[in-house]
Amino acid sequence: MDLQQAHPGATRDVHRRDLLKAGLVAGVTLSTWPLYSPSVLWGADAGQPKRGGILRVRGYDPVHFDHHQTINFKTNTTLSFAYSTLVRYKVGPDVEPGTFITEPHLAESWEQPDDTTYIFHLRKGIKWHNKPPLNGRELVADDVKFTFDRFLREPGNADRHMLASVDRIEVVDRYIVKFVLKEPYVWLVNVLANPRSMWIIAPEVVQQFGDLKKPESVIGTGPFLLDHYEPNVKTVFKRNPDYFLKDQPYVDGVEWLVLEDESTGLAMYRTGQIDAGPWHWWVVRQADLEALQKSHPHLVYKDVVDNVTSAVYMRTDQAPFNDVRVRRAISMAIDRQGVIDAVYLKGQPTPAIAPGLTAWSLPIDQLGEGAKYYQYSPKEAKRLLAEAGYAKGFKTQLNFTVGYGRDMVDAVQLLEQYLKEVGIEVELKPQEYGAYMATTFAGKYEGMAVGPISIAWEPDSVLYGMYEPGNLRNSSHVNDPKLLAMLQEQRRTKDIEARRRLIFDIQRYIAEQQYYVFTISITYTCTWQPYVKNYAPNPSFDYGGRVAALWLDR
Amino acid sequence: MRQYVLKRLLLVVPTLLLISIIVFTLNHMLPGDVVVLMFEEKAYAKDLDTLRAKLGLDRPLYIQYFSWIGQVTGGDLGESLWTKRPVLEEITRRLPVSLKLGAMAITVALCIALPIGVLSAIRQDTLKDYAARSAAIVGLSVPPFWKATLVIVLPSIWFGWAPPLQFTPFSENPWQHLSQFILPAIILGIAPGASIMRLTRALMLEVLRQDYIRTAWSKGMREPRVVLKHAFKNAIIPVITIVGIQVAEIASGTVIMETIFGLPGMGRFLVDAIFQRDYPVVQGVILLTSLITVVINLLVDLTYAQLDPRIRYQ
Repeated sequence: MDLQQAHPGATRDVHRRDLLKAGLVAGVTLSTWPLYSPSVLWGADAGQPKRGGILRVRGYDPVHFDHHQTINFKTNTTLSFAYSTLVRYKVGPDVEPGTFITEPHLAESWEQPDDTTYIFHLRKGIKWHNKPPLNGRELVADDVKFTFDRFLREPGNADRHMLASVDRIEVVDRYIVKFVLKEPYVWLVNVLANPRSMWIIAPEVVQQFGDLKKPESVIGTGPFLLDHYEPNVKTVFKRNPDYFLKDQPYVDGVEWLVLEDESTGLAMYRTGQIDAGPWHWWVVRQADLEALQKSHPHLVYKDVVDNVTSAVYMRTDQAPFNDVRVRRAISMAIDRQGVIDAVYLKGQPTPAIAPGLTAWSLPIDQLGEGAKYYQYSPKEAKRLLAEAGYAKGFKTQLNFTVGYGRDMVDAVQLLEQYLKEVGIEVELKPQEYGAYMATTFAGKYEGMAVGPISIAWEPDSVLYGMYEPGNLRNSSHVNDPKLLAMLQEQRRTKDIEARRRLIFDIQRYIAEQQYYVFTISITYTCTWQPYVKNYAPNPSFDYGGRVAALWLDR
Repeated sequence: MRQYVLKRLLLVVPTLLLISIIVFTLNHMLPGDVVVLMFEEKAYAKDLDTLRAKLGLDRPLYIQYFSWIGQVTGGDLGESLWTKRPVLEEITRRLPVSLKLGAMAITVALCIALPIGVLSAIRQDTLKDYAARSAAIVGLSVPPFWKATLVIVLPSIWFGWAPPLQFTPFSENPWQHLSQFILPAIILGIAPGASIMRLTRALMLEVLRQDYIRTAWSKGMREPRVVLKHAFKNAIIPVITIVGIQVAEIASGTVIMETIFGLPGMGRFLVDAIFQRDYPVVQGVILLTSLITVVINLLVDLTYAQLDPRIRYQ
């Protein structure tokens, strides 16, 4: 195949040195080096920044543009180009994937005078996009107060619980805003960095448009202005010349393309019509990876572990799942590596915190007593079931949705087989996504269910909701006072290392109890064209931040 | 004829009314609640109730129906529950894409089917006939989505080339706009073309055995005149009926083509709306699609009268 024809943009300016480096990185990453490569490999020798060019990438069609009325990732990833947060998770090639380090953003600094007070100092001179009604005016503390007052009051905001500990927000002066909490909550800064729902907005825009659903209402302080939106086709952004981070963004614009079909996206990537991988997180699916690497070895490939776990959850408030031996048996009946090998090709068994959240996830072999329940042992599973009084097994149902894609369907069928081998006969109940959300995910199901657990960039938002009695995210109907006490304690523990030890203890306890049978986290292979420089993937919705830092060298 | 047309047009109203009741009822019977979907499982009861009231979904169903149908009679199909954009505006943006795709697909189908069907009939049991019939079987058997995937994937692997897969509006580049419909229209038109081809062949064979055709041969008429002027015109009437039915099938097939080829048409819009339980959008699109189907059926019936002078509508 003629490489020039395949990648006319890429081959003209790809130097031999870059090709060798790309090949080295791809080969090393995929062979024996650990996934969390040292920073020297990430964006090595990106060279001097270059201005110009339009980045064309796979994007999403937002359901609308109001992040206080939807938590949908399609909206939030799109908004990441135009908006900013008070603080953010660091971006850039020196950030290891799976690490989410908070850094100043709209706020240049913050302080915590006591356990229930946070004071943020805004950078001076940050301008809103030069569009009416804001016309490039300066960002002030009143905007931040307005944003979070709306966040807490808007009836359509399903993420309101994230700031449940906030009592009120006060404006101290033009550039200082204070958060007063009802109780100590050490994760506040991490939550404010969340690239979902935390985008700062201006009151005049809401007053003019009524809400923020229309594309014309997307007026932020982010690196790009929303130029135009074509439903089901693309969103086009252009560079914000007044962006507050010096020199950024380097590209002139971004075409955020709606690509619904995997084959179409891959064909576009192969032929250079898009600049990064055709699937979520700009990855290429594992099933297509080998062929692509063979035909396009010069592309950049990087493995990233997901920060989403999958789990089997069950009615732990009802027999037989209220018996811990039954739950442990289910865990030991599942060959997690078998599921990876058959369906996802790359991944690893996961504890309660996905391995992709590297700073907080405990390796399986360090889960103590609970580690043994991750071993695949149908014999031991049968023994546990017999001990619990189910020597002949039992029948139940397994709910899931086809809306998560065909890989999920394949994995569920494998689970069915594994459970059958130990005597648990499950009746598969596939549901369309809407029906699943209204019933199974809302806790209205019988037996068991399986699906991905929410994405998270810190452990509290993953763990707390899943185990707090009465919480809508408590899909397994868990009521464990000891566990709840541990979760509440870590929310008050300021010292980061002490908090980490608590989180690890929680994971060990969870592994023993198996309220959720955590299965696997997938390993993705992110890929992009070699002329895309200074880019590093990280599984967060802040595409805009990562794009602002990169440049095109072609 | 005028009276007949008027009568048929008047029948459209009760037909659409019945369809509106059916689609409204079925829509709301789907498990899953749009408000719960909006919250993505993270809402408390009070929030759900507040949003439901805001969207008018807390009213009894019959009141919601009459409110909606009242708007429809005034030309207003309501607003999307998710985006708040008028449904009519959304449909207007997308309808031309689907109409173009559908029209081109039907054109492709007829361009394939009619000449090949006629040729296959007049050269019955020859190599050409066998080849045509085999090709028709393949065309019918191979699903359109597979054909579309091959057409996109294989050239990208072998030649480093892919067809235009990002939508270009007509105002931006008319030629590129039209060219992006060519491949999906061909793929979408193959299966209906195969059906129509086989029917055309069968009907032509029947007509060619008629006495008046034998008379035409015996008078020394040349083959094109016999086939096209005498035989084809009589064979075509049932084919037109099938074409009317195929239009509905093509309409359902556009969803897949629109997804694979990145065309922002009505098919994708409708499927997304169903998944999101966007009731006004689903109702509006189905009503409009029903109207188009009714009109097409009327045109099909009127075409009979043009082709066969024996047919008179009272």
